Amino acid sequence: MLMFSYLMATGITTGAFYALVALGIVIVYKSTEVVNLAHGDLFMVGGMLAYTCYVMGGIPYLPSLLLAVAGAFVVGILTERVAYRSVLKHGLASVLVATIGVSFVLKGIGRYIWGGKGDYLAFPPIVSPEPLQFGNIMIMSQQLVVLLAVIVVMAALALFFKRTRAGKWMQATASNPKAAMLCGLRIDRIYMYTFAVGAALAGAAGVLMAPLTHLYPDVGFVLFIKGMAAAVLGGLTSIPGAVLGGVLLGLAEQLAAGYLHSSFQDVVAFLVIMFALIFLPTGLLGARGLRKV
Amino acid sequence: MTLPVLVGNRSFLALLFGALLALPAFANQYTLFVGNLMLLYIILALGLNILVGFAGLLAFANAAIYGIGAYGTALLQVHLGWSFWAAAPVGAVLAMLIGTLLAFPALRLSGIFLALATLAFAQATQWVLWHWQSVTFGAGGFRVPPPDFGWIPVKQDYGIYFVSWAVTLGLLLFTWRIMRSRIGRAFVAMRDGEIAAQSLGIDLLTYKAMAFALSSFYAGVAGALYSGLLGFVSPEAFDLFQMIIQKAMIVVGGLGSVVGSVLGAALLVYVMEVLREFKSTQEIVFGALLIAFMVFQPHGLVVFMKRWLPGWEEPLHLAGGVQSTAPGHDTSVAGATSKEHASAERT
Amino acid sequence: MKRLSTTITASLAFAAITALDAQAQGANVPGITNSEIKVGSFGPLTGPVYIYGKLTMNGVEVYFNKLNQAGGVHGRKLVLVREDDLCKPEGAIAAVKKLVHDHKVFAIIGGGCSNPTLAARPDIEKERIPFHVFAAVADGIVDPPAANIYTTQITASIESKAQIQWAIDKGAKKLAIVAQHDAWGRARYEPMIQDFKRRGLQVVADEEVTVDQNDGTAQALKLKASGADAVMLLGYPKAAAVVIRDSIKIGYKPLWIGQTAIQDLPALQGLIGISGALADFVSITTVPGHPDNPQYAEWRKLLKDTFPNDDLSVFNLMGIAAAEVFGKVLEAAGKDLTREKFLAAYNTIDNFKSSIYPGPITCKGGHKCNESPAFVKLENNNVVFAGTVALK
Repeated sequence: MLMFSYLMATGITTGAFYALVALGIVIVYKSTEVVNLAHGDLFMVGGMLAYTCYVMGGIPYLPSLLLAVAGAFVVGILTERVAYRSVLKHGLASVLVATIGVSFVLKGIGRYIWGGKGDYLAFPPIVSPEPLQFGNIMIMSQQLVVLLAVIVVMAALALFFKRTRAGKWMQATASNPKAAMLCGLRIDRIYMYTFAVGAALAGAAGVLMAPLTHLYPDVGFVLFIKGMAAAVLGGLTSIPGAVLGGVLLGLAEQLAAGYLHSSFQDVVAFLVIMFALIFLPTGLLGARGLRKV
Repeated sequence: MTLPVLVGNRSFLALLFGALLALPAFANQYTLFVGNLMLLYIILALGLNILVGFAGLLAFANAAIYGIGAYGTALLQVHLGWSFWAAAPVGAVLAMLIGTLLAFPALRLSGIFLALATLAFAQATQWVLWHWQSVTFGAGGFRVPPPDFGWIPVKQDYGIYFVSWAVTLGLLLFTWRIMRSRIGRAFVAMRDGEIAAQSLGIDLLTYKAMAFALSSFYAGVAGALYSGLLGFVSPEAFDLFQMIIQKAMIVVGGLGSVVGSVLGAALLVYVMEVLREFKSTQEIVFGALLIAFMVFQPHGLVVFMKRWLPGWEEPLHLAGGVQSTAPGHDTSVAGATSKEHASAERT
Repeated sequence: MKRLSTTITASLAFAAITALDAQAQGANVPGITNSEIKVGSFGPLTGPVYIYGKLTMNGVEVYFNKLNQAGGVHGRKLVLVREDDLCKPEGAIAAVKKLVHDHKVFAIIGGGCSNPTLAARPDIEKERIPFHVFAAVADGIVDPPAANIYTTQITASIESKAQIQWAIDKGAKKLAIVAQHDAWGRARYEPMIQDFKRRGLQVVADEEVTVDQNDGTAQALKLKASGADAVMLLGYPKAAAVVIRDSIKIGYKPLWIGQTAIQDLPALQGLIGISGALADFVSITTVPGHPDNPQYAEWRKLLKDTFPNDDLSVFNLMGIAAAEVFGKVLEAAGKDLTREKFLAAYNTIDNFKSSIYPGPITCKGGHKCNESPAFVKLENNNVVFAGTVALK
């Protein structure tokens, strides 16, 4: 029973990781209909910037976090203006290749600047590194921080898209850019800010998860794949879907590792995806669209 | 006049393949090896372009199918003692059969959802290659005896090079014919509008299965040649990085263009070798080049070729990008269809 | 049209002739001039495991620079030519071919990843170019031995056997394994399983970790349930840290036995975060002590001079150590340098006390020059020597 409780708890906490990454992917997708393949590298950029400020530079934690998020935001704007702006109207395949290019550039820069410092860089957690007790199981305090962040971000994004005008503008742009332009929306600005906010979210996730994932130039890659899997499982346009997808993925991994064998941990996520998409081709909570002729 | 005979895509291909044939005369072993890899990538790009560029199916499983072809061929040689010449076709057919199964999810999924399902399949394949040790030897890879040329008096690396060359040329001509036939037109009809295609009597399952079968067969053939070329097969050669490179090749070359596949593959292999000089900063330069390609010519290099070389025809070139998304999305802004674009070009 | 078909026929004829022609080799020694020796290196410079290539090569370059400052070897300066293999088999084969045929290097000091090096081995043997392995640990690279391949890295089988021996020496009764099953992990895992079989010992738990895993709770739970009192850790620092951290979390504290990939104990402690996590932890080391120790101050300075962004790490030291032996062999080969004399000079390395490797280096009589695993542990945040084992 104890093992089950631990596996459930771990499933939820690792699921929170995937959910946080997935939320960033969803927000970009909701507005641009594009999956940013460089999202994982933006995660790394945020973490590395925070490392430079906090661990190397001695700046206190909160300013370091804000600086890292701001830095990621700026990188998001830069990549949009340089790489994506002119490519967005030319179709998905070209944009994907552009995002691949950005991914290589960011990873290469990360390796160049921070790569020689060691294989994995440690990042101190916000609170004590000692585990906390909850009933009869222990949880790392940083995992609770991430869990909290997921809830906060999910609520904030849901409110943003439902209640604010900017959120409505983004959804309008996604569903019909031409019509949005006709209504007077500056869609190029909207795309730019969407990518920037997505990048900032990735950067924030990078900083919050760094004490648990550690920092290295390729830290974003596997998290991005799993995060994208979670987002697609959730339906790609649904914010609660992203969180649900993430948690389900985390749970599937841990339960398979615990009750089958640890060698299944990595592949279960993908098996779950394949089967889920067979029965729910647009994900769990995705928009079940009408096919237009 | 005589000009269209000298230029245009057919002549370009003839020149390229002529040069590749003559390569062993001028090249050292290193250049020959790279040339051979280039031929393999041309095969892979041709197959992937059939699937993504012509048929509009955004699938991410090609690298895994490539691996199945390589493993199939090599394992038949190592476990059952078959010769390369017997194992290679069987390995390719095995890859084709497994790849064709992916047509079933392709019926229900489209766009990014299909991409993810095929990606999941690819990752699961990697996992199998790592863990089914009794058959695949696990992540450590294994050695394969080189193809035996028997009585033909040819050096090993020349032999595999000429075989690769001949196979690549054969597949190129085959692709050319198919894409100009009913099948090619059916693919493009499917790509440009599934519902319209169905109303024309095109059975989606048949043609999607055919698209997967063709691209998987090509990938399987490339895999068989890979095992013959390297003499060593291991899982990491067929990972996501490989998939990304293949995708980049067809987009840089031009989706929906046979010559575009060749162009993209040849160019990217050449670029990656040249970038060796940059040592550790290779990644940055390569990424920057990809971005530059997409910013200046997102529809692929064939657009340049069409503009500057008279006689270069690309009737099925996808100038608008693959259909991107979930059903219900208005794709009219995601890109023009090739017809619209082509007519815009001629004015 | 006619022009085209004629060209094609001519090319075909030409190609046919050249295919049947045997290639003549140059008589001069490649890579050597009166003033310099070109030494090639291949390994990952980009990609997730770039540290095994790039950083090790940085170390080699630092050592070569030091030799060059003192005038080189017999008046010739050493020039390092790097090639990226991307940790892929075709990358290594291409890199080796390029080094041999384009750059025409004298010898190669390299090999960052095991699989690619294994894939390139037939080419290296065929070219008879001297090859000194500096990082890859797979036994298959030197076993069965090739006349032109030597390694100063402790190979995977030696490390795996040593890990088991340590556990037994310390009185452990139930041994478990936590391993990565990628190519690197398998190179260690397979000899370990063989050694367990040879000893007639049972593995009470055999768990897998992946390189990027962020949580080791499932593995820790299985280990705890098996009652293992000693766990062989065959992982990179992140995987190891995650398993140890989550084991502490669930209250499981066995004897952890690591290997050279996790020999940087202070760094590992930092990754785990919980104080006292490595109280019951030993690891095999290529480097006695820690890169931050005063004995490595000279290398720290030299590294910073050449690579200002980097901090001295175990990987740099691995490169420096390998280059030191390589340099000694070059010295012993004499001024009248050929590849054959260079390879013969490896036999002069007998019980050589390296300034970095903990044990003696002996290339005489065998191609595995380094067969002495030493163990380290963490005491009051200092890395201290913990002992050795006697391997049969």
